[in-house]
Amino acid sequence: MPDLRTQEYMVNMGPHHPSTHGVCRLILTMDGEKVVDIEPVIGYLHRSLEKVCENRTYAQCIPIMDRFEYVTSMSTNQVFSLAAERLAEIEVPERAEYLRVIMLELNRIASHLLFYGTTAMDCGALTPFLYGLRERELIIDLFEMTCGQRLTYNYIWVGGVSKDIPPEFEPKCREAIKIIGEKLDDYQGLLNENPIWLARMKDVGILDPDLAIAWGVSGPVLRASGVKYDLRKDDPYSIYDKFDFDIPTLEAGDNFDRYLLRIEEIKQSIRIIEQALDGLPEGPIRGKVKANFKPPEGEVYCRIENSRGEMGVYIRSDGSKKPLRVKMRGGSFNQLQVLPEIVRGKGYYIADLVAIFATLDIILPEVDR
Amino acid sequence: MSESLGMLELARVFGWLHELLVDTGLGEPWVTIITYAVLAVVVFGVLAVLALFLVWWERKIAGHIQQRFGPMRNGWHGWYQTIMDGLKLLQKEDVIIATRDKPVFFWAPVICFVAAFLAYVVMPFGKDLIVADLNIGILYILAVTTFTVISLLMAGWASHNKYALLGGMRSAAQVVSYEVPMVVSILVIVLFVGSLSMQDIVTAQSGNIFNWFIFRVPFGPIAFATYIIAATAEANRTPFDIPEAEQELVAGFNIEYSGMKFAMFFLAEFINLFTVSAIAVTLFFGGWNGAILPSWLWFLLKTCGVVLLLMLFRWTYPRLRVDQLMRFSWKFLVPVTFANLIIGAIIKYAGWYW
Amino acid sequence: MTREELKSYVEGHFDGKLKSLDTGRYDPIFEIQPSDLITVAKALRDDESLKMDFLCNLGAVDTCEKLEVVYSVASTTKNLRLDFKFSLPYDNPEVDSIKEVWPGIDWYEREIWELYGINVRNHGNLKQFLLPDDWDQGNPMRKDWDAPDFIRMPEV
Repeated sequence: MPDLRTQEYMVNMGPHHPSTHGVCRLILTMDGEKVVDIEPVIGYLHRSLEKVCENRTYAQCIPIMDRFEYVTSMSTNQVFSLAAERLAEIEVPERAEYLRVIMLELNRIASHLLFYGTTAMDCGALTPFLYGLRERELIIDLFEMTCGQRLTYNYIWVGGVSKDIPPEFEPKCREAIKIIGEKLDDYQGLLNENPIWLARMKDVGILDPDLAIAWGVSGPVLRASGVKYDLRKDDPYSIYDKFDFDIPTLEAGDNFDRYLLRIEEIKQSIRIIEQALDGLPEGPIRGKVKANFKPPEGEVYCRIENSRGEMGVYIRSDGSKKPLRVKMRGGSFNQLQVLPEIVRGKGYYIADLVAIFATLDIILPEVDR
Repeated sequence: MSESLGMLELARVFGWLHELLVDTGLGEPWVTIITYAVLAVVVFGVLAVLALFLVWWERKIAGHIQQRFGPMRNGWHGWYQTIMDGLKLLQKEDVIIATRDKPVFFWAPVICFVAAFLAYVVMPFGKDLIVADLNIGILYILAVTTFTVISLLMAGWASHNKYALLGGMRSAAQVVSYEVPMVVSILVIVLFVGSLSMQDIVTAQSGNIFNWFIFRVPFGPIAFATYIIAATAEANRTPFDIPEAEQELVAGFNIEYSGMKFAMFFLAEFINLFTVSAIAVTLFFGGWNGAILPSWLWFLLKTCGVVLLLMLFRWTYPRLRVDQLMRFSWKFLVPVTFANLIIGAIIKYAGWYW
Repeated sequence: MTREELKSYVEGHFDGKLKSLDTGRYDPIFEIQPSDLITVAKALRDDESLKMDFLCNLGAVDTCEKLEVVYSVASTTKNLRLDFKFSLPYDNPEVDSIKEVWPGIDWYEREIWELYGINVRNHGNLKQFLLPDDWDQGNPMRKDWDAPDFIRMPEV
């Protein structure tokens, strides 16, 4: 039919769309059902946290950091505290380091469970979402027991942690990770060999390792492409060098590997938590830190491994009690940036785009700050 | 069986009503019109209640699969939740976008709703419990249920929204693709019965439970499997719910509809769910045949069993992509159903069946 | 390679274009000339014993006297990390885009253009990024920025 005229058309996906995980706007150029080009438009969640931090003391910045990436706010606390400690050369007691590792890994599991649920939901399976949240609830309860908060914890402070764990924390934590470890088999049984799930996930959204590194992609997304790069091993912070755990990597770099890798990471996190609970020493939970301490002039860029990749914070101090500049770096920022590179010109369908967006595990507060 | 509940036989109720009307001295066309109108209201009422029940049931099943309770607040286990939801939708403001295609936008939900009910004209609810036993019954059902796709396409077009249009287009492509395997799997049964009438199909399976077509190997189970897959697609349910595809198209064709217009789409969806299950029961599970219990109850129980199967599909599987959906129909279902038809024809010709 | 070794290695190589600073509190930090940016970036990425292939972060700093731009880079194979920075004047600051070296810097450059008013040469896609579409109140991350509804935190 040579006379049939076709044309590409634009679809505005977002800012409010069920599968953009927040308020992200994707301007799609579509050819029928196929996505030709895509342009992310961000900034709908921009709260100017960096400017806010410039007007607060270091201790006051920690609750602000909670809002930077609220799915794993333990990591945001940790990265800021770590940077401030390196800047002011503050020692952290050993018990506090152990508690930090336990909380960070619990939070990583919680984040990956949420990923499991939302990814399945974005592919149309509604039930795994509830399952993922059910086990996440166990972890959230542990956090609530410890610091009274369920989402923005404000737990890891400069020089230590805010509160010690209650005595019933340890048995409950062991029980929770045991349940999660058992439920992982159920999760995989529901999806891993499901032909519809495989058809949706396999060989879709392939991210080349060279492309991923060049675009600054990190974390599980990078490791699913075959690059063994995990800051817990490669640039150890806190006491991660004391624990015995593996860095799982997979080769294909498609949606399915990104999903599978996060399930594997939950298992490794469980191993770390078990070791940390076994080795938890007695002692103080905070070093000697003044409320309004003044770090010497200087600058530091500090990074940790978050569930979404490299989370970093750059702090510049001018010797006063407030930072001169706080720059936050989140893994989602680069992963959203690389999304057009993955999708463009590959002839993916709009349903694939939703699945790719989900497996990159982008959350928007981290992008917009 | 149904002798004890003779009052429920439609023919008798009909006759009684007819006599009553004749006694009042009305003229002939009026008597027929009124009796049929009463009948239509009765069937419509029963089905509307059924649809409300199905909505509630689906929510309960979804809840229990997902380890929660589902509706619990309104009455025992939230039994009148859907009634309250319906009342809420009735009171809601009917938001109408300015750029709509006026008549098409209005008629789409109406056609969808009416088409969903038309199939019940020939549906055998029980022994003698049928509105009209047309001799082309199953063909008639296949013809009228396809009206639904026209209404979805109309809704998608009239909404002046790209998501809605995509949803309508997907729906049209899907129904056209899955109509073929559905019809061919039904043809096998028609081949054996030798009649298109619904009551004939049911009586052909009477007596022994092994007379049900589902147990007539090898063609019966295959025909049922292909039919139930195609029927899931016809009823727009997961894993084939791409016209609505919440995570991709927000709400698909009904994105711009609200209030009662949305409720009409919603109820029609559940009526369609019941329709495809009822057809499956009639064709494969012996229809209203059954011992001890009254026939209409058997029919309801069996249909609810098939509905349960479809609900389990919905709450376990992810959704297929649009191209995978088409490929599955044309490259797998269509060849399988045609092969099954040929096998069935050979068996029928050779007489290797009971 | 430890941090000290890295520091001396970088100072000894690259024609002395990277000068070590003592403000870095953890990882080494170097100062470069703005005009050397692309050369230095390419050299760091392609150097056999550094292989700085991963761009972590790009941040601008307003020190009330001048603007500074800090690049944080890392190596995924050698486990190395360093920062390099340079100063820019307050009026008409301009940097070169290094998208050709690390493509992932694209959005970071858009960010400093929008929030600090640093013009990025050869970027090609400098348009509204984090701020609202109808924003016309200047570059909010600069220290002297003020707006009618902006309230500074009182001293504690």
